[in-house]
Amino acid sequence: MQRCSQISIAKETKCIIGAAIAFANQPVRVRDANMATAAEDEFYLRYYVGHKGKFGHEFLEFEFRPDGKLRYANNSNYKNDTMIRKEVFLTPAVLKECRRIISESEIMKEDDANWPEPDRVGRQELEIVMGNEHISFTTSKIGSLVDVQSSKDPEGLRIFYYLVQDLKCFVFSLISLHFKIKPI
Amino acid sequence: MANADAEAVDFEPEEDDLMDEDGAVDVENSPRATLPKLKSAITGGASSSLSAPRKTKGRGFREEADADRQSRLASRDFDSLGSDGGPGSQRCQYTILFPIRSYIVLGFRVNFHFRAIEGWIILVTGVHEEAQEDDLQNAFGDFGEIKNLHLNLDRRTGFVKGYALIEYEKFEEAQNAIAAMNGTELLTQIINVDWAFCNGPIRRKNMRPKLLIYFLKILSTF
Repeated sequence: MQRCSQISIAKETKCIIGAAIAFANQPVRVRDANMATAAEDEFYLRYYVGHKGKFGHEFLEFEFRPDGKLRYANNSNYKNDTMIRKEVFLTPAVLKECRRIISESEIMKEDDANWPEPDRVGRQELEIVMGNEHISFTTSKIGSLVDVQSSKDPEGLRIFYYLVQDLKCFVFSLISLHFKIKPI
Repeated sequence: MANADAEAVDFEPEEDDLMDEDGAVDVENSPRATLPKLKSAITGGASSSLSAPRKTKGRGFREEADADRQSRLASRDFDSLGSDGGPGSQRCQYTILFPIRSYIVLGFRVNFHFRAIEGWIILVTGVHEEAQEDDLQNAFGDFGEIKNLHLNLDRRTGFVKGYALIEYEKFEEAQNAIAAMNGTELLTQIINVDWAFCNGPIRRKNMRPKLLIYFLKILSTF
């Protein structure tokens, strides 16, 4: 009798531990006070620049997703080239650095109402969700600072211009290091 | 028959996680189309009294979404290393459980780090704006040969942007660099060093390794 119950305890313990392992690897929610900060911690970024022309729809686009995935796409049909698509998962440290770059640029305070509209030459889109602010700016391609100076909102456009360059730098570094594309 | 009650600290089984692997962000739809879903999932997941209404700005909301936009980032055939399985197959964090007694199980959350094609890449943040590549080489060269170093500049000011990406060939070299240099001072500024890539989605709620204690009460009637 004693032996039987000992064996049955072992089996039950195994079952319970197995169930606990399954339980534990499910998403765990930290309560209440942290929920507000979780909603404020939301982060998503998407940038697109491109145009349609002789070589098809040529564009560059990258996306930082809240779950840490960075997706990068670059398309051109120049000399019959094909689309390049890469993706990689980033650690929270990298997302945090990206947020810092964006908040230091103060792009979230700008508005694209006075920026040039997208045209045949090209189109840029920048969409950022940071905390409880969500911006989605579209404008034409910016060739150089001359285009920035001669626009109706040079200050805001300048911030956009440099932020885009900094983000591209960041993304290209990450992608090229991860996929080991070294210059010849 | 024995009954088992599981009591867990910090566990609420009723609610779904926002960023469930299979869940809120659907890879088939474009980010544009999912963002309304994303928005409601985020603000709806938390109780609505806690989250402020989201402010939106920009022409992109007023325009109709380009049909192309739906397809550009939506495709599944993105190149990636290793983590090619469907959602849920790879994660950044796992919980390891140690049964201590028959009724107590200790859980530790650990992060898994991911290797680039040939090396291990770490991210250094908080770099002083006048730092030079040599400063980083000297500070981080002790742990192993630095295969690659990216110290990007701020495009407007010309100073260092504030981060650096360093590639080592071996895991131990990178790990030693992280352990030794994280939180230390470089050129009068505190730097933070951490891994750059991981092999799956991150759990935003629990990003630091946490001790979770599960108490299992086993009510037995035998």
